[in-house]
Amino acid sequence: MFGALWLITFKQWRAHRLRVALTTLGIALGVAVFFAIRTGNTTLLDSLRATVEKLAGKATLQITAGESGFSEKVLDTVRATPGVQLAEPVIETMVQTSFPDEGTLLILGVDTTGDQQLRDYQFDRTQTQIADPLVFLAQPDSILLSRAFADRHGLKVGDKFPLFASDGKKEFTVQGTFKPVGVGEVFGGNVAVMDVYSAQVVFHRGRKFDRIDLMNAPAVPVEVVQQRLRAQLPAGVEVDRPEVRGQALENAVTAMRVGILITSFVALLVGVYIIFNSFTIAVNQRWKEIGILRAVGVEQGNVSRMFLCEALLMGVIGSLVGIAGGFLLASAANRVMRGMVAAVYGVVSTAAPARLHLDQCAIAFALGVAASVIGAWYPARGAACLDPALALHNIEARHRESVLGWRRMGGGLLLMAAGSALVVWTPSRLGLLIQFLFASIVLLGLTIVLPKLVLWSARALRPIMNWAGGSEGALAVDAMIQTPRRSSATVGALMVGLMFVFSTASYIQSYRQMIDRWMNQVLNADIFVATSAMLRSSSYHFTEDLGRKIAALPGVSRVENVRFTAIPYRGDTAAVIAIEMDGFLTRSQNAIEGADSRTVYDKLTRGEGVLVSRNFALRWGVGVGNQLSLESPTGTLERPILGFLDDYRSEKGTIFMDRALYKKYWGDDAVDFIDVDLNPGVDQLAMKSEVQRLTAGSFHAFVYTNAEFKRWISSLVDQFFTLNYMQLVVAVMIAILGIVNTLLISVSERRREIGIVRAIGGLRSQIRKLVLLEAVAVAVVGVIVGSVAGILNTMFMSHTVSVVLAGYSVPFYFPWEFVLLSVPVVTAVSLAAGWWPARNAACMQVIEAIGYE
Amino acid sequence: MFAAATMIQLTNVSKSYGDSGAVQALHNLSMTVEQGERVAVMGPSGSGKSTLLNLICGLDEPTSGSIKLEGIELAALDDDRRTRLRREKLGMIFQTFNLLPTLTALENAALPLRLQGLRRRETDQRAMAMLERVGLKVRAHHRPDELSGGERQRVAIARALVFHPPILLGDEPTGNLDSATGEEILRLLDDLHREYNNTVLLVTHNDLAAAFCDRILTLRDGQFVKEVRTGRTGTAPAGER
Repeated sequence: MFGALWLITFKQWRAHRLRVALTTLGIALGVAVFFAIRTGNTTLLDSLRATVEKLAGKATLQITAGESGFSEKVLDTVRATPGVQLAEPVIETMVQTSFPDEGTLLILGVDTTGDQQLRDYQFDRTQTQIADPLVFLAQPDSILLSRAFADRHGLKVGDKFPLFASDGKKEFTVQGTFKPVGVGEVFGGNVAVMDVYSAQVVFHRGRKFDRIDLMNAPAVPVEVVQQRLRAQLPAGVEVDRPEVRGQALENAVTAMRVGILITSFVALLVGVYIIFNSFTIAVNQRWKEIGILRAVGVEQGNVSRMFLCEALLMGVIGSLVGIAGGFLLASAANRVMRGMVAAVYGVVSTAAPARLHLDQCAIAFALGVAASVIGAWYPARGAACLDPALALHNIEARHRESVLGWRRMGGGLLLMAAGSALVVWTPSRLGLLIQFLFASIVLLGLTIVLPKLVLWSARALRPIMNWAGGSEGALAVDAMIQTPRRSSATVGALMVGLMFVFSTASYIQSYRQMIDRWMNQVLNADIFVATSAMLRSSSYHFTEDLGRKIAALPGVSRVENVRFTAIPYRGDTAAVIAIEMDGFLTRSQNAIEGADSRTVYDKLTRGEGVLVSRNFALRWGVGVGNQLSLESPTGTLERPILGFLDDYRSEKGTIFMDRALYKKYWGDDAVDFIDVDLNPGVDQLAMKSEVQRLTAGSFHAFVYTNAEFKRWISSLVDQFFTLNYMQLVVAVMIAILGIVNTLLISVSERRREIGIVRAIGGLRSQIRKLVLLEAVAVAVVGVIVGSVAGILNTMFMSHTVSVVLAGYSVPFYFPWEFVLLSVPVVTAVSLAAGWWPARNAACMQVIEAIGYE
Repeated sequence: MFAAATMIQLTNVSKSYGDSGAVQALHNLSMTVEQGERVAVMGPSGSGKSTLLNLICGLDEPTSGSIKLEGIELAALDDDRRTRLRREKLGMIFQTFNLLPTLTALENAALPLRLQGLRRRETDQRAMAMLERVGLKVRAHHRPDELSGGERQRVAIARALVFHPPILLGDEPTGNLDSATGEEILRLLDDLHREYNNTVLLVTHNDLAAAFCDRILTLRDGQFVKEVRTGRTGTAPAGER
């Protein structure tokens, strides 16, 4: 029997090639977006891991203390620890080159005598003039370059070239090159090696190292060595395997990765609706065929299986095409993600081509096929339950679609209410997966009530369409009224697309407003000088000397040095902003909540307490008065929390402390931002030019006026949401595909009706208008239900996703003006989508259409 | 000279299908139908009856020859003008009723008027009057799936006549109905003809339906092979009164 059913399916596919192609394309697009994001994501993580591993060489353990580094005395302790075979100090920094379009260069400061036992440097002996280059590196300006970097800039042994060090521009002498393997592969070859002690001086590290890489003695297990080291070193100094450090980097960018992954599911979800839509219509289209099959003895189960197998095949083809397309898109996705990670988190990764991971392929394939089968399940069930006697009747004998009864409607509403309540009232610590389950319940409820919503919306729309579009308008809406289930599938695809458009727009808008408020409260300096065009640089910093030079400029009333760094905290990380509290509190008095201001100010200025951001408090469950215990390289710092303030620079939460306190415990006087206040009447732009003149050629500095700095932060926010925007465009594209698909199928399904209208005097232009008005009706109803879904999803994003991922809730704001604006846009898009089906309908041969079986 | 009362005139009309005209559906066909006349075209399946009807209502174009409706040469009209001619001058009744399943009886009946751009109130009034005339006023707000076959054909007749077309074309109007209902429909058509005096051309297999007409043309292999005058002018078929 299955052979016969396949034959029927094959003939159907041939007869409805376009429908099959569009449906398969819907799935392919969904899978492509999902796969591209997943692969881009994996490539990014692989790259982060590979970078850490290559830099670690043969090291089995690494010793670090956040970004501030630790005293070089630690090296003696480590080397003296039993079981440590080899321990080598490292300074790792990214510096700006002065070559146009080159960006940054990673400089590894290593011990010139022992490091070759740890890391593989394959020197170009013919070009390197010394027997042992690392020994030669003891000269402070000596540097070894990767061959790739040297070749790119025509640098030869003996050449000098400049780099921006902490205290200004410095000349370095090329003493040799190494091959693009091992360390030489990192960051696309943008890597150089110099002596660790020279690096301390050049990069203003004092008597500190960033890291110690060590190998344990073969006879002593690495865990034993790790325990011994932990016992001897201060708690703020961490001893981890290299892969754990890679994991820490991954954790740092978790919020971004999860956020992107969430939206990548949208495309798949829209794909489910498209399949549902396509199969609902296919069942309608094949009404008579199903009746005949049932009449000649095909069982219900086999009818159902016939449709499910079709869906399966479409899912297989769509998924394979999607995986191929997704792989092509993955590099672009990876590029965007790398940019975001660098801009927002200061984590630089090596550019790497996307690699095909079989497990990712399998997941995308399985999801694509599952989405296809899930989408087809309900229509297949409907086909199986078709009454063969009715199916064999004429067109007029068809019963109207039964719209869901009040019981199911009630069930749908109940699910929506229950899901919403769970989203709003359950604590965020339940985790994103559980919270997603709650949001899915809302969406399921909405999907159940959708046919009714479509029916009501279409009924409400009928008089308007009748008035505005005449009989064609009424006929167009009638199509929706009579087939609310079929229409709801199209509207559903549009709804999901618009839901994410509206809620993302809403979220971004809310986020922007929140950031604007925060910037006005906290960012009050007249001029800002930053080390990076990104949110921060984890390795390039200014010295306090630059602050002093700026302070000496006429017209400057005050200069504050700000250190923005990350420290280990309770197995994770937290951001630290070390600032001269006196000035900060004077400018940002209104930003702090939680305690009596005068007392708090005094204590903060004396370093007797700290402030924490609201998301830090929420994430770690701490409040005003709680004692905060921070592990520094010099020991544990314990201070009470004296107040809260809003700060959105880190989703891990931020601790604010006086700069003197930070310097004392972390021994770190680096500067990331310099906040400059001007005397009254001094022009900000004129002063900006002064500061630029001061720093030009010596420091890699970005100078902003207050307004420019705020605009720059806004642009970073935009960059953070870049991929979301791109994914939304794809989701909307898939929804448009759904509209084209539906209208084409609708035209095909209503072939006879259109033929009748033509036969009794309907002009081609009227038929075109009818189809286009149906597209408009779908668009308007789509916007209505999309708004409802958008409100619910905005609630979920601002209340839950934001809290889970970033630790702060974003104030709920729904962009009604955006929704209103979207009506003409979506209508125009729908009209464009309806153009081809409308043309098809208008060109239909009337005789064939009327005689159509 | 073309007579003013000639409503349908076919002159040497041929229609063939296929790339090289392999299938000759109609061959050099000529006929004239006068105003108020009722003509039945009979013939076996495949004789070209439906092709003839499609050509007359402008849904198809002849391979050669001329077709004129009220003196207007169809070949001279583009698709839109042919369509307008159809909706102003031709009422059509189909064997399978061809009502729009999503519209009520009233909306179906009013559709030609609405397509002409008349206002809703006027179209509804006129359609309701026509439904009343065919005896279906009480079923005006029912949809086709809630009506019997005879009722559906009545709605189709109301739709065909709602704009008072001078020509009524019927394609097996009783073909899908039982004999009693078929007779009812023919009686209704007879009454309406008496009332509106329009020109009627029926394509049918049914002797009873043919007998309702003034003239019967028999079509075989694309040519008229016989013409019979029934002698019934304005009378209903025998045996039904």
